[in-house]
Amino acid sequence: MGSIFDKLLKFGPSVLVVKAIIAAIAADFALVAAILVRRAYRTRYFHKRDERVFWMRQNWDDLISGKIPYETWRTKPFDRAIVEEIVLDAFEAAGPQESARLLAFLRQSGLIEKRVFEARNMRGWRRRRALVALGRTRAAEGVPALADGLRDKNQENRHAALRGLGRMGSPEAGTEILDWIAEVGLVVASLPVQNALINCCRERPQILIPYLQHSGGEVREVLARVMAEVATPSLESDLIGLSEDELPELRAAAARAMSSAQPYHAVDVLAELSKDKVWFVRLRAVVAMGKLHNELATPHILQGLCDSNRLVRMRAGEALVAQPGKMAPVFAQVAAMQDRYGLHAYLAALENAGARAKLEEELAHEKSLKKIEREELQQVLQSGKLPDPKPAGDAEETVEPVAR
Amino acid sequence: MGLVLDATNHALFVYYLVCNMVYLVTLIVALKTSAAHQRRLESWRLKWINQSPLTPPITVLAPAHNEETSIRVAVRNLLQLDYPDLEVIVINDGSKDRTLAEMQDEFKLRPVRAVYVQEVESAQVRGFYRSAEDPRLLVVDKEAGGSKADAVNAGLNAATSPYVCVVDSDSVLERDALLRIMVPVMVDPDHVMGVGGIIRVLNGSEIENGHLKHVKLPRKSFEIIQVIEYLRAFLIGREGWAQGNMLMIISGAFGLFRTDLVRAIGGYRSKAIGEDFDMVARLHRHLREKGGEYKIQFVPDPVCWTEVPSDMRSLARQRARWQKGLLDVLWPNRDMLFRPRYGRIGSIALPYLWVFELFAPIIELGGIVTIIAAAWLGMLSQHFFFEFLLYGYAFATMISIGSVLQEEITYKRYNDWKDVAKLVSYCFLEHFPYRQLHMMWRLQGLYQYARGDVTWRPLKRQGLQSAQAR
Repeated sequence: MGSIFDKLLKFGPSVLVVKAIIAAIAADFALVAAILVRRAYRTRYFHKRDERVFWMRQNWDDLISGKIPYETWRTKPFDRAIVEEIVLDAFEAAGPQESARLLAFLRQSGLIEKRVFEARNMRGWRRRRALVALGRTRAAEGVPALADGLRDKNQENRHAALRGLGRMGSPEAGTEILDWIAEVGLVVASLPVQNALINCCRERPQILIPYLQHSGGEVREVLARVMAEVATPSLESDLIGLSEDELPELRAAAARAMSSAQPYHAVDVLAELSKDKVWFVRLRAVVAMGKLHNELATPHILQGLCDSNRLVRMRAGEALVAQPGKMAPVFAQVAAMQDRYGLHAYLAALENAGARAKLEEELAHEKSLKKIEREELQQVLQSGKLPDPKPAGDAEETVEPVAR
Repeated sequence: MGLVLDATNHALFVYYLVCNMVYLVTLIVALKTSAAHQRRLESWRLKWINQSPLTPPITVLAPAHNEETSIRVAVRNLLQLDYPDLEVIVINDGSKDRTLAEMQDEFKLRPVRAVYVQEVESAQVRGFYRSAEDPRLLVVDKEAGGSKADAVNAGLNAATSPYVCVVDSDSVLERDALLRIMVPVMVDPDHVMGVGGIIRVLNGSEIENGHLKHVKLPRKSFEIIQVIEYLRAFLIGREGWAQGNMLMIISGAFGLFRTDLVRAIGGYRSKAIGEDFDMVARLHRHLREKGGEYKIQFVPDPVCWTEVPSDMRSLARQRARWQKGLLDVLWPNRDMLFRPRYGRIGSIALPYLWVFELFAPIIELGGIVTIIAAAWLGMLSQHFFFEFLLYGYAFATMISIGSVLQEEITYKRYNDWKDVAKLVSYCFLEHFPYRQLHMMWRLQGLYQYARGDVTWRPLKRQGLQSAQAR
């Protein structure tokens, strides 16, 4: 009996094509079979999963307390995965008391030990999964395993370890990350490092200071950006030091961080930074002054409105509109500056904030303005165009300074 | 004559063999990449991106030209997206219908000034409107510029975020689409310059309050075939090519770019027929010429649902336009071919597009002509012909079923058994006569381009409102 190819050869000249046809048809059927098997498997899997989840939810308190022995589900990977998923999801929304209860359960049931083991000994995606799960537990005993993960050869695993440590959000986890970057430099992109450090250093931003002092280059910039996000008023003196740094990134970070400092001290520093030669330092300074919500900052923000950079002007406009106090005197000063770009930025911010009606109302009743000036300002507000410049000093007589 | 026909047959055989090998390799790479991507997602929590203070702001740019039937649903959908720092700019590109009025009614628009610097070329802007209901929404009302590119450029000038996401205003994004498309950026913001998401066919599905409620297959057969085409193009083609950093197209319906980079290359080319393809080609050129490492990526899980043509005439127009767009981009970039400075873009991606995409309908037509000629001259080996036909059929079917399998093992949007059965059936049925018609439409596109006919002909659409009402 000849082979199937021998029989098919009678119908055509090319063995190659016949073989290709057979292979392609076989592949077609194999793929269709794979789809059907996959579908059937999924249907069965989700049915079974639903049943187990329902049962576990019904007996959740008994599961957590250990009334249902841990061994009944811990040794079954299917059940264990469900329990762990439910616990980790619950963690995300739990308050301190519930978190403590869940953490105790994770410890007693051995789930944390299991994840620590996987994070240390597994490879590839299994290690990645364990690292992130460990981070989600926020258990302190997971920190060393996560720190090991930072030194993995695989970049994705390093990222997972970073995310895990970031999720821990504890100063201990932060110290591990800081030690790691001090040791090897930035071997992953800066954004994930910053994200993780922000979460970890929020509670105790002081841990950043020694690393900031002893690092250089890109690492220093990254740490400064983290500092900008987590700084508290207690770090004011360090921030003032940073504001004089030669690296613009650091000055920008200092400016951003100063928004959390005491306005009396911050305004002077920020006013200096708002005159910086680098645009993004000026931008950060103007935004930070806006966040201070203090009238002391208004004259400096007004200067930002005449900046050569569009973004600085826009942010200055937004900051001015959000400033406390009356708007009419500020608007009078904006008009008096005779800068059409500045005026446009201010009006755009005013309209975007929906505050135009409020300004119109204020202008109509502003007593510090003479009638003619009031009309002129109303005209500027309506047309968006500046009036003809007046001789110097004229404006100063009529416009009440907002802040000294 | 016989020798010529014989040589042609051999050449065609080699062409199809190489083409099929490329498809096969792409399918294998895509299946592998998808599995890896699924694993990668397990270690990501989108919520963390949403909570991070460092997640970069995004400006969504939605150009709208005569979209009165879709605009309310589309904009509502954009404003409901999960993203921490979002700005939505809708560009009303000289609509002659009620597009602007619909938005004014729905979102309580009020005229505002905007800091608008014409960094990239676009038609005259008539005014700006901001929603009193949701200040994240800015509407740029402009004169008709004659192209989507012109409208996007106006939005680009008004955008204030470091990333812009260009979407179609007749499309619906899934709620977490922006968070998902940002995953590659969050991992490596220094190198990722653009990211494309997947486009899926909306026809047949139901929308509720700006969100997709039920995913269903459309009823018409050629709409179902388009579903398969989209699955094949995105889940296999783009996934595979992106793996080698050779992605040449990020769909205009849903793509994310770095704003400074798009501005640096002068924005979208207003006269481009396929502005999305043109943008990516120019980005590659710019970044290759500049030197240094960069990535243009594709992620298969952020989904944009879009309406595809539901009548033959519109479909023919669309496909002809795509073919014109292809030529319109490949021709000006012909100098990139085989030049070492353009790396694998010049040596693999572009040659592939020339040979297996641009010339494909011509070569297919050539194949049909030689077969007819050979049959007429009595030189056609019927056995060989039928075997070759059977092989082509079985192989092409395999690639299509592969894309359905890819969908099935990864993203599982079609949950109904009937829908999957239909999809698989159409993998067998799409080859006759749809494929031949498709070839004709593409040839028509090339012919129109050669004649200098580059006018944009509107496609007939039902609009999102109809999906909402279903």
